[in-house]
Amino acid sequence: MPNSEVITGLMNIQTVGVIGSGTMGAGIAQVVSQQGFTVRLYDITENIVSRAKANIHAQWDRLTEKGKLTAEESAAAKSRLSTTCDLADLKDCQLVIEAAPEKMEIKRDIFQKLEEICGPEAIFASNTSSLSITAIAGSIKSPERVAGLHFFNPAPLMPLVEVIRGLRTAEGTLEVLTAFTRRIGKHPVLCQDTPGFIVNRVARPFHNEALRIMGDKLATPQQIDRIMKKAGRFRMGPFELQDMIGLDINFSATKSVYEGYFGDPRFRPHYYQQRMVDSGNLGRKTGRGYYVYES
Amino acid sequence: MNPEIRIAVAGRNALADALVQAFRNAERVECTVWTPEFPGECDLVVETENRDFDFKKQLLRDIEATISDHIPILSSTLGISATEAASWLKKPERLMGFAAFADLDHAELIECMLPLQGDPALGHQAAAERAFAAIGKEVEWIQDETGGVFPRILAMIVNEAAYALMENIASPEDIDAAMRLGTNYPYGPLAWGDRVGLDDVLSVLTGLHRDLGEDRYRPAPLLRKLVLAGWLGQRTGRGFYNYADEKAKELMK
Repeated sequence: MPNSEVITGLMNIQTVGVIGSGTMGAGIAQVVSQQGFTVRLYDITENIVSRAKANIHAQWDRLTEKGKLTAEESAAAKSRLSTTCDLADLKDCQLVIEAAPEKMEIKRDIFQKLEEICGPEAIFASNTSSLSITAIAGSIKSPERVAGLHFFNPAPLMPLVEVIRGLRTAEGTLEVLTAFTRRIGKHPVLCQDTPGFIVNRVARPFHNEALRIMGDKLATPQQIDRIMKKAGRFRMGPFELQDMIGLDINFSATKSVYEGYFGDPRFRPHYYQQRMVDSGNLGRKTGRGYYVYES
Repeated sequence: MNPEIRIAVAGRNALADALVQAFRNAERVECTVWTPEFPGECDLVVETENRDFDFKKQLLRDIEATISDHIPILSSTLGISATEAASWLKKPERLMGFAAFADLDHAELIECMLPLQGDPALGHQAAAERAFAAIGKEVEWIQDETGGVFPRILAMIVNEAAYALMENIASPEDIDAAMRLGTNYPYGPLAWGDRVGLDDVLSVLTGLHRDLGEDRYRPAPLLRKLVLAGWLGQRTGRGFYNYADEKAKELMK
């Protein structure tokens, strides 16, 4: 049951800033403006941000064609989404969601600037999947208003959002973000600021142990995928899934959790991941990974 | 109608109960529960112990003493490799392994393995395939190691979720929801552990930890304690969740 302070906080959120217009940022901007909020999408060049906006518009046109969005809803969402290359344009945002590249210096710099630009009540969220919320928040004067809001790719379709509590995040910040997550039609789960949060951590053995079994030649990737689907009823086997995610992306997620836990052997990557990434066969996106994809 | 295959099941755990029930419901399978007074004739003996290896060793030797030389034994490898179990027998080549959790209904496929001492020329594999085909399961033959593929990977996922819960990084409901909604798992890992039985999950982990000697397979202390307390999951009314609690029941649907 949200308390009155949360309701006030949530009602105050009308304008949401989204920083970074890559896959995640654009997906988040699409969801949030579709759900009735005014969105200011920021990126560093006009060229990048206007291309992102055109892509989001195309998504809405497609949803309208499919009958999943009325023409009025699409027009209204478009009118609520604007773009900018000037962070100062986010000054009237009550919530800013950062989805910039996964580099600590970049994120810290953004949050320090936001603290100068936005009002004292504004809440700052990071969509990071591999950096510490506590470390990002630690660079500004008011870390209590910083939390993680971790969306999953593709953001418009995936129902889950991990709401991450940094060591100095205020309870009220988490309550507002949890309520906001529900308002945009997503399922929030609350998680402490730990390496990999819930999903990227608990999903590690699905990949790591499959690689180990393959490396020890107990079964082939094809057999392992078949077994995981037919004995375990997973939707995809670990090797098919790595091909879909991208072997480079999956490898860096593994390395990040492994390093985050200071080399705990439960998270140790397999050398074969490194070899596969070195080979340039990164999965579906390059036409070849553990499987061959003919176009 | 003559039975297509005559199977004797030996063991005292949920896996044995599930197999007996499945084989008895199957057409053209004659299923008996193995006892030391076993009459000796059947096509396959299935043995299911996953925790007590002194008991398992004695059981396998007793089985071997009551059956004809040509009858194969299919032994559960959730806690130990088929090669080690085979080493206890006078005729090690008669043993085959299989790795499956007790919630058999969930699986369309069962993993089987020959021990190092096994010999495909003996034709024993066909008996295992016929037995599982009779209850609607395909068989995948893999190389022998404790826990096979799916039980090993699932046990590691449940173990990671148990560590996360023990560390209190999130509530059990949120851990499970995150994995169902964030990665499309059919069940949340904690609820999944409760379904298959935490005793067997722990057997896979302790088996791998012992056999491979790596810290990677160390069972989460919370998981070990739940099993010691006898809270093995849905079967005992309590595991990661308490099934007397209406909210938990709702969650499991």
